[in-house]
Amino acid sequence: MAPLKHLEKENPIIDASFRDFCASHGILTVEDFLVHDLYELAAFAQRHTNADRLKEGITLMLSFIELQCRPWLNGMELLDEMQRNKHILSTGDKGTDSLLQGGFREGQLTELVGPSSSGKTQFCLQAAASVAENHLGRVLYLDTGNSFSARRIAQFICSSSDPALGQKVMIRISCHAVYDIYTMFETLQGLEVTLRSQVRRNVNEDRLRLLVVDSVSSLITPILGGSGSQGRALMVAVGYLLKKLAHEHSIAILVTNHTVGAGGEGGKTKPALGETWKSIPHVRLMLSRDHKNSNCNISILKHTFMPSGQAVRTMTRKDNQQCI
Amino acid sequence: MGEDEARGWIRSDETAKQMLCRVLKDRAFLLLPPLHRVPLRAGNVVEITGASPSAKTQILIQAAISCILPKTWNGIHYGGLGKLVLFLDLDCRFDVLRLSQMLKHRLLQANRLGNGAWWQLEESNVNNCRFEQDKSKTVFDEELYVSCMTRFLYVRCYDSLELLSTLKTLHYRIRQQEACGSQVGVLMIDSIGAFHWTDRLSSSLALEKHNRKSLSLTNVVETIVQELKKLLQVHSLVVLATKATIYEEKYSTNENNRKFSSNDELSGNASSKAQQPPIREFMPSSWQAFVTHKIIIRKSANYQSTQQSLSAYSLEWLQPQLSSIDRFIVDDSGIVIVS
Repeated sequence: MAPLKHLEKENPIIDASFRDFCASHGILTVEDFLVHDLYELAAFAQRHTNADRLKEGITLMLSFIELQCRPWLNGMELLDEMQRNKHILSTGDKGTDSLLQGGFREGQLTELVGPSSSGKTQFCLQAAASVAENHLGRVLYLDTGNSFSARRIAQFICSSSDPALGQKVMIRISCHAVYDIYTMFETLQGLEVTLRSQVRRNVNEDRLRLLVVDSVSSLITPILGGSGSQGRALMVAVGYLLKKLAHEHSIAILVTNHTVGAGGEGGKTKPALGETWKSIPHVRLMLSRDHKNSNCNISILKHTFMPSGQAVRTMTRKDNQQCI
Repeated sequence: MGEDEARGWIRSDETAKQMLCRVLKDRAFLLLPPLHRVPLRAGNVVEITGASPSAKTQILIQAAISCILPKTWNGIHYGGLGKLVLFLDLDCRFDVLRLSQMLKHRLLQANRLGNGAWWQLEESNVNNCRFEQDKSKTVFDEELYVSCMTRFLYVRCYDSLELLSTLKTLHYRIRQQEACGSQVGVLMIDSIGAFHWTDRLSSSLALEKHNRKSLSLTNVVETIVQELKKLLQVHSLVVLATKATIYEEKYSTNENNRKFSSNDELSGNASSKAQQPPIREFMPSSWQAFVTHKIIIRKSANYQSTQQSLSAYSLEWLQPQLSSIDRFIVDDSGIVIVS
């Protein structure tokens, strides 16, 4: 936020004497006002000779703060906004779609948890193909482990028999390699800027509808550990940045999280990102694979309106496509 | 406060009638299970602690519905408070569909009790609720539904700065609403520790010079508490805040359950309670001192229903300390107490 003196041009009330008064209380920016008791400040202002002018300045500050606030929405407005902008996207798999009552919701962050080779990447690739083909949306795939395969996506596309159509679908999917958390921030912030400018230019054709991060845990686990809070702070910041992107631009976000053994205690595994991460995703799905018959189990660990642990489906994913 | 103001305040006694009006207005109320054990009154601050997921938001939604429903409508008793709910979403995960679905459920339930003929239509209706089909209009009062939904006010905050700005201007928002004749009943915060780590990081980056107050964790939480206290002085409302645990418990929950079952017969309830590892408190002391009621939710052994096994949770009152522990599950209709 800007220092107070930058506001003077448009607001003559924020003159040198008001700024001096603020500086004497350690307030240099509008932000600083947030941790101060404005009633107390007004009481201090009362003691000055130009009390009215100072108080006017404080009221103006409050109106700046009010401008930054998001509007309060009532239940009907929320419902209306959701029905207009937040559509359901098919995951490309019938079983999963019926488990999730249709698929992913735009505006939500869905997390896939599973041990290695449980089919997380396959799930992501299939979802990317499905959104690009069935929903005509653009897909951005952030690949952290070089596991993206265009050939595999082409297999998932139902209209791949028609090369021209298949190509159109493939063009909608773009892949970026991201190998560390800092590049991740850069990419996401760049994306935010691009999307905002698209909103301004009213581009609605071929808008971004799905963002895949495979895997988010491999970006975050290296910075965790130790007693410092820095790693966790970055993790929470990435989570909120994703949620903000998802909601403001109506994008469905799919991230993957691997599992680790729980310190050898009974051989139980748990998601690599622990307690703090749990409050980030809207929906958490657990993937596990039965290696005998290559069946894949998907169960709900958390969902915004479905009871957790309730529905468990099995499905077989063969190499040939499963078109809906 | 000036001396004159203080003296003026002491002098202005209320009449018995005024006092009765005030006391009757702020009468304690009971929420639905699982919050039914302790009556809450304006000024109370309830903190609900639990790991994610432990149905915390679900409890908030259920309490919100009790608040936004009217007491009676067209001769049918709904038993609500008919007041506004302010929902501050810091987790940014609130799903309005869930609120809508549960509200419809409650309306249907009340209708069924109020009028015996409705129950036949109900089953098909509940299944359609989620998809907002028009059929449902025939069964419950759409006007009532809309008026309840508009009593629910929502805002989301993506960081502490947004939260502080929202709290700073909340007093004016509430006054605007009160000018329109509606009263705020409950302020909900989901969840209070959401920005713990990012605030902690900014404490270490702080530029604490020239008596400048930084946006450190303690300062932020102190300001939140201060703003809420000021609100509670002027407006009669209850604060319900959830708090997600951010540290893992020492023992995995499954192990705990096993210990429980083997010891239960021998030692009963009291000693098994002592075995629960304490939840590590991470909120600064200013918040802890502000909270008046504390609830803790833990995952308990799965509940076997006729068709499937559902995750069950146990809820315990820590402040005021109650000996009873409620066990509940969550299904489509909301929270169901099982033991």
